[in-house]
Amino acid sequence: MAALFTRAPKAEPILGQNRIVAHLLAFLTWIVGLAFFFPLFWLTLNGFKEESVASADPVLFFDPTLDRFTEVTEATNLLSFGAAFANSFWVVLISTIIVMTLAVPAAYALAIRPMRMWRDVLFFFISTKFLPIVGIIMPIWVIARDLNLLGTRTVLVVLYSAMNLPLAVWMLRSFFAEVPKELIEASQIDGASLMGQIRQVILPIVAPGLAATALLCVIFAWNEFFFAVQLNPTGASTIPVWVNSQQKFQGQFIAQLSAASVLATFPVVIAGWVAQKRMIRGLAMGAIK
Amino acid sequence: MSTAVVDSEGSSVDSEKARAEQLKSLERREGWKRRLPMLPALIFTIVVTQIPFLFTLFYSLTDWRIDNTDPREFIGVDNYTSLTSESEKFFRDAAWISVQMTVMAVLFSLIVGTLLAILLDRKFFGQGFVRTLLITPFLVMPVVAGLMWKTQMFNFNFGIINWLLNLVGIESIEFASRYPLFSVVVVLVWQWSPFMMLIVLAGLQGQDPSTLEAARVDGATSFGIFRQITFPQLRPFLELGTLLGAIYLIQVYDHIEVIVGGQPGANNLPFYIAQRSIGGGNRFGLASSYSIIVVIASIIIANIGLRVLSNLLEDDS
Amino acid sequence: MAEVRYEAASRIYPGSEIPAVNKLDLDITDGELLVLVGPSGSGKSTALRMLAGLETVNEGSVWINDVDVTLKPPQDRDIAMVFQNYALYPSMTVAENMGFALKQAKVPKEERAVQVREAARILDLEPYLDRKPKNLSGGQRQRVAMGRAIVRSPQVFLMDEPLSNLDAKLRVQTRTELADLQARLGTTMVYVTHDQVEAMTMGHRVAVLKDGYLQQVASPRELYHRPKNRFVAGFIGSPAMNLLDVDRAEGEFRLAGEAIELSSEMGAAAKAVEGKKFGLGIRPEHLEFTSAGNGIAGEVVVVEALGSESFLHVKVEHQGEEELLVVHEEGDTQLERGDNVTITLDGPVHLFGPDGEAV
Repeated sequence: MAALFTRAPKAEPILGQNRIVAHLLAFLTWIVGLAFFFPLFWLTLNGFKEESVASADPVLFFDPTLDRFTEVTEATNLLSFGAAFANSFWVVLISTIIVMTLAVPAAYALAIRPMRMWRDVLFFFISTKFLPIVGIIMPIWVIARDLNLLGTRTVLVVLYSAMNLPLAVWMLRSFFAEVPKELIEASQIDGASLMGQIRQVILPIVAPGLAATALLCVIFAWNEFFFAVQLNPTGASTIPVWVNSQQKFQGQFIAQLSAASVLATFPVVIAGWVAQKRMIRGLAMGAIK
Repeated sequence: MSTAVVDSEGSSVDSEKARAEQLKSLERREGWKRRLPMLPALIFTIVVTQIPFLFTLFYSLTDWRIDNTDPREFIGVDNYTSLTSESEKFFRDAAWISVQMTVMAVLFSLIVGTLLAILLDRKFFGQGFVRTLLITPFLVMPVVAGLMWKTQMFNFNFGIINWLLNLVGIESIEFASRYPLFSVVVVLVWQWSPFMMLIVLAGLQGQDPSTLEAARVDGATSFGIFRQITFPQLRPFLELGTLLGAIYLIQVYDHIEVIVGGQPGANNLPFYIAQRSIGGGNRFGLASSYSIIVVIASIIIANIGLRVLSNLLEDDS
Repeated sequence: MAEVRYEAASRIYPGSEIPAVNKLDLDITDGELLVLVGPSGSGKSTALRMLAGLETVNEGSVWINDVDVTLKPPQDRDIAMVFQNYALYPSMTVAENMGFALKQAKVPKEERAVQVREAARILDLEPYLDRKPKNLSGGQRQRVAMGRAIVRSPQVFLMDEPLSNLDAKLRVQTRTELADLQARLGTTMVYVTHDQVEAMTMGHRVAVLKDGYLQQVASPRELYHRPKNRFVAGFIGSPAMNLLDVDRAEGEFRLAGEAIELSSEMGAAAKAVEGKKFGLGIRPEHLEFTSAGNGIAGEVVVVEALGSESFLHVKVEHQGEEELLVVHEEGDTQLERGDNVTITLDGPVHLFGPDGEAV
């Protein structure tokens, strides 16, 4: 209970008790961090170059231009950026709403007033994540075809919801389990109805966790490629399919491809940066608690 | 909710029985009230994931080809027995590629992730910023990651890696075509090390500071402390990382399509299965048997790993 | 303001054979401060929670003011509870915490504020009304928990070890404040603690529980001087009563060789009890040292000098074994470890039959 109000002391690092070593290690860590980030940095840089500049020897300094971005967003060959973005946006939004609507009550049921077999149910949810997609893609394709859902947003919404639901239940359950039992009991004694308990006591405590979970669902749904490309060959394609289609067979238009990639991936990368602390906490707690 | 029993003597057997009845019906209703909220999620999941799986199982016992009009015939386990024959060499190659790819990707991302976690588990200037840099690969869209590495890092003509190699006098290498498996694994490790890093970091930061201090007071070296105190405590986290990583990495598809696009050298099972069925191969019956094999492998891995998970869940009873 | 009654109430956790609370019969009068005390696992918290509606009552019934509340949810019982960890709502201010129950009862905002301020005044919480729990000290949080309870004017106060998380000094201070508050308000209070000193100083009556069974319920004085069984005798009183096994030999009881004289009543009662193995209890203050030769011989092993009084642990030989007797002395003692002493009885003894019951 006190954990809601205080922080545990942090363990001392194992390496580098000596000051010089500590500084060296910090320096090393910086180098490694920058190296890991470099590919993305380079990609972004290339998005602002002329094709000729990007195809020559690598340079760090050049005259930046937004032309590649306009080319890529205005192109209207097979699949346009606007259409793909709209598809991605709606599919991600609706599927995340569905997931949260289903997962929040489930997490409540598994954490706060657990039924007798809650561990088995939680196991089951997790186990569906272990089922490889290839294990169900064929029947899904057949059903989608027969229901005329190939090439629609609907089929993706349904599949993304099923894809993210176990993760959401897993994470939300651990957030709900953090609510001290006594707090809920106190609110009952104070006369709060079930909705009252949820609204006034539980929700304020789990709200950050809800946000983190929703964000994670958004990230996974946004990045998903396999279902999108298999079930939507030309119809309601999403951003990942769009960006892949930017590869032109005759030579590589590197700068253009980079611009497209930046547009495709940055919304989610930035969202991830903003919410990283809470998402990490949610993932970690879900795993460890 | 219930009426007050006015007779405060209430010692008769009847009221005792009435109370027991009331209690039982209350418990039953309570049981349903507890189960109800999770039923929608449960039903949805079963319908969308388990039922299709049963269909796949069924398909695998037939010779169904969706590109011709012959009726679908039930052929029992013939698809499975054919997997050892010459005609299914590509399947076995793909399976072997899958194994190599998964093992290497999991292993190396775990190692890199652990090293990163150790480096990151300290206070230094800009720690938060560096951590942000380090988790970014995990957020990047896999398609973009594949494209990025293929066209900008591995590219024969303009890739950074080849440019660096040329600087030290080594000739450019056609990574994607000559070392397809290697190329894919590199990108996978780049994307998954942050995930492993976060798991291991959680383990490192969950250590009891007093234990470490006591060890230092007792004169242990940094390596000694790591080997004898930290590493054993990290084991469940490493196991968790391996389990989750394996489950996801077995299913890798995006990178394969984007980087090597069907080259036999890096064709893993998911890609091969997709090729053989909905990607134009049209052999739904046969490809379903491939899928079931993959599912069985996943179940085996999961079972080993679920034991780890159940231990972690036990701690939270 | 209400009476509380437990009638043969039991709580059996699913999957367990042994009840946590076993057929508890307890009557609590209106305005009484009744303490439930006992070691861990005695069922005292469970019994309290049964009254609160937080534990199912598997057998028997629970009554508040002649109303059977056994099947009623906590919301409908008109009770207030203070938890060991206070259970303050972290996202609300002190004022909101205290006003929460009133809000659930749809009390209008102005009236709520008035009642909250009044309770805050009684508990010295007025400067903290706008703070959140995380910005309060332990003692302040405890008072907010109290305030949350008083604001409601419930029929019964339920206290689940409310002082356990305070440091020793604050605990003693708050203890008296709490008892005073209860007396002023006159509301029935059921108070759970594992600390028998707390129980003895606060309770109008004290109910001792062990392993789910009620051992004895009586005023502190009665418990102290007339414990019904061996457990209560050893539990109540600090330091604990000296308790030794004695064998009845030829109708007599001997402590370390010295014959024990029983009062005529006790002697008669003892004769009626069958068996040989009895228990003998003597409080430390009922033993004294004498310089005369007659008495129990022993050697001082430990000296506890508290300033106002001293307790000496003396090794004696009793029925072939080495036993320790704790002897009380007023003020400072001249004795030291290793001294040889003689002990005599200077007060009543307690005799317990082979079944542990008092004779």
